Amino acid sequence: MFLSKLREALICLKAGRVTLDYPLAPQEPKPGFRGKITIDADLCFGCGGCANVCPANVIVLSDTEQHRRTIEFYWRRCTYCGRCEEVCPEKAIRLSQQFETATNDPQDMYMRLEVFMGPCQRCGRCFPPPTALDRMMNTGFREGPRGGRA
Amino acid sequence: MSTVDQAAVTRVKDAVAARGNGAVLSATQPHPDTLRFVIEKNAMRAAVAGLVKELRARFLISVGTDQRPLTGDFSILHLFSLDQDHLYVLLESSVSEKDPWIESITDLVPGANWAEREFRDAIGVRPDGHPDPRRLLLADDWPEGVFPLRRDFPYNYKPPRAENVRPQMLEPPKGASVLPIGPFFPVLEEPAYWRMFVEGETVVGCDTRIFYNHRGIEKLGDSVMTYNEIPYLAERICGICGFIHSTCYCQAVEKAAGIEVPRRARYIRTIMLELERIHSHLLWLGIAGHIIGFETILMQTWRVREPVMWLCEEISGNRKTYGMNTVGGLRRNLANQIMPKLLETLGRVEKETVAIRDAVIGDTTLQARTKGVGTLTNEWAKQVCVVGPPARASGVAIDARVDHPYAAYDEIPPRIATEEAGDTWARVLVRIAELLDSIRLVRDALAAIPPGPICADIKEEIPPGRFGLSVVEAPRGEAVHFVLTGGDNRPYRWRVRAPTYPNLQAMPAMVEGANIADVPITLGSLDPCFSCTERLETIDRTTNEVRVYSGAELLEMSRRRVCPGGAR
Repeated sequence: MFLSKLREALICLKAGRVTLDYPLAPQEPKPGFRGKITIDADLCFGCGGCANVCPANVIVLSDTEQHRRTIEFYWRRCTYCGRCEEVCPEKAIRLSQQFETATNDPQDMYMRLEVFMGPCQRCGRCFPPPTALDRMMNTGFREGPRGGRA
Repeated sequence: MSTVDQAAVTRVKDAVAARGNGAVLSATQPHPDTLRFVIEKNAMRAAVAGLVKELRARFLISVGTDQRPLTGDFSILHLFSLDQDHLYVLLESSVSEKDPWIESITDLVPGANWAEREFRDAIGVRPDGHPDPRRLLLADDWPEGVFPLRRDFPYNYKPPRAENVRPQMLEPPKGASVLPIGPFFPVLEEPAYWRMFVEGETVVGCDTRIFYNHRGIEKLGDSVMTYNEIPYLAERICGICGFIHSTCYCQAVEKAAGIEVPRRARYIRTIMLELERIHSHLLWLGIAGHIIGFETILMQTWRVREPVMWLCEEISGNRKTYGMNTVGGLRRNLANQIMPKLLETLGRVEKETVAIRDAVIGDTTLQARTKGVGTLTNEWAKQVCVVGPPARASGVAIDARVDHPYAAYDEIPPRIATEEAGDTWARVLVRIAELLDSIRLVRDALAAIPPGPICADIKEEIPPGRFGLSVVEAPRGEAVHFVLTGGDNRPYRWRVRAPTYPNLQAMPAMVEGANIADVPITLGSLDPCFSCTERLETIDRTTNEVRVYSGAELLEMSRRRVCPGGAR
């Protein structure tokens, strides 16, 4: 009884101080951490693969005009699974190391991207320019049986 | 791979056929470890009796499915496990829409109590002769005759609010007072309402109302999400054993579709599952200490646990909800440069855990507070189909990792730790033994991990109409996922049973005859998580005097083990 109390005290003494100084000192996440999404607008060609696979329906696609496709990211609902990053054929969408995303303004957690598209001569729907079609078939939509939405 | 004995298959077929009296419509073996019988509903009860009484089958769960769009009928499935024979047995009956009832099996298998009430609530098939046919799944203000898991029920339907509804609770035995615990209470991970019937300070019985936190994920799974979106939803069923649920779901789909998962992926899944067990058991040990006022053990086990969380973050990109599983394998590989760090951290965790174990094992205060508290007898543990550490602490040597090997457990078998006493102390010992064995399993897995791909290449659509059943041993017990595949790239039915579901059903037996101050640690010893508390009140029925205890007071009571008016 006395021995075990002594042992317990020793364990506590040996451990010392283990708490971190965060938030007074900055805290870097580990490499490979899945943080806030970032989008490189120049790389995106609007295939919509990310909207196709997002489990939380954070990414919403709408073809507002014939030449224009709008991609909206309501990432306050984002679960940081990283599926969008995984399927993006151009690596335009990435998960950053940023984790301090608390804000008072919901608009801070909203992003909107407009991409100019080539409309189909027959049906009028938006498509990425023909040269990119092959790239699109490569990644985002190959997911069909595994993750595509019918 | 443990092979299934053909003699056992024949034995089960004979037993079901003998009891079924010609009402067995078909007997198939869709997977090597699964036998499926389609039986007329009149013979279901007899077949269940045959399985349970003659073959000592263990009840897992019931699944009610609305198959009207396919066959015109509802289907009721009772799932059983024959642990010694490594077999699952599925008994299926169709129930017509005009006459939606089936004979209850709760008197044969007490553990089927909640499962039967659940399919009654969800699809409206009445278990005839059920001893306790109160509402379970649906909210008390949910309208009668609206069944949310029927196919014609839209997932986003919101019923009108009802006024003045209260849970239907049992009357206390004569002379006993009622002591309500919950709906918010420190030792319960979700809102749950317990009414303890007390005489003085001794509990003489209890009643419960749960499912306040029902989120309808099964409905979402079969109407909104797709096959590969569900793993992320499944991961969020539980905050601690997220990877277990996503693995369990993925394995069920893989089994249904006949997808072969690469060997490396199975090894990495094993490593992650065991890491989850390590940090979950350390967390539990700390909280058990916290409930009985032994804060040293809380601070120290959580300090030891934290490096494991950092390790998980480094492997998967997040402390929890790893997002690593996908149907067919994994999304993220285990980098070779993490392995030395993993081994080093595990070595440290093992050393410190052993030090803590050696220190607390001789601590008579801890033993005085846990020995003989919340005892669950071996017989009743089998009857209510308790799983996980509570079962093993009562001498029921079941472990899904051994009985139904999945991932890489066929190549690196775990050792089952059992105790006979069945009390809270036995549960502490079982969990510490499992924790140390998990560290060994991760080491073995790291030593044997093969190179190769981590995800199967799936080219074809998952065929509809197949089913998969997967059981994964979570830290709290076994999680069961049942998937019936459908069209539109999503399951037709997805059934989840978390380990606490059967374990909570054993609570009434565990607290009967106990002291009020022992109730928190008894609840806690089942390892539900802990949320913040609101209050607890006691009502003395004879005087109607109400005394309200704050959570702090109750915890204090549990620590000092004193009761109002009590002599202790």
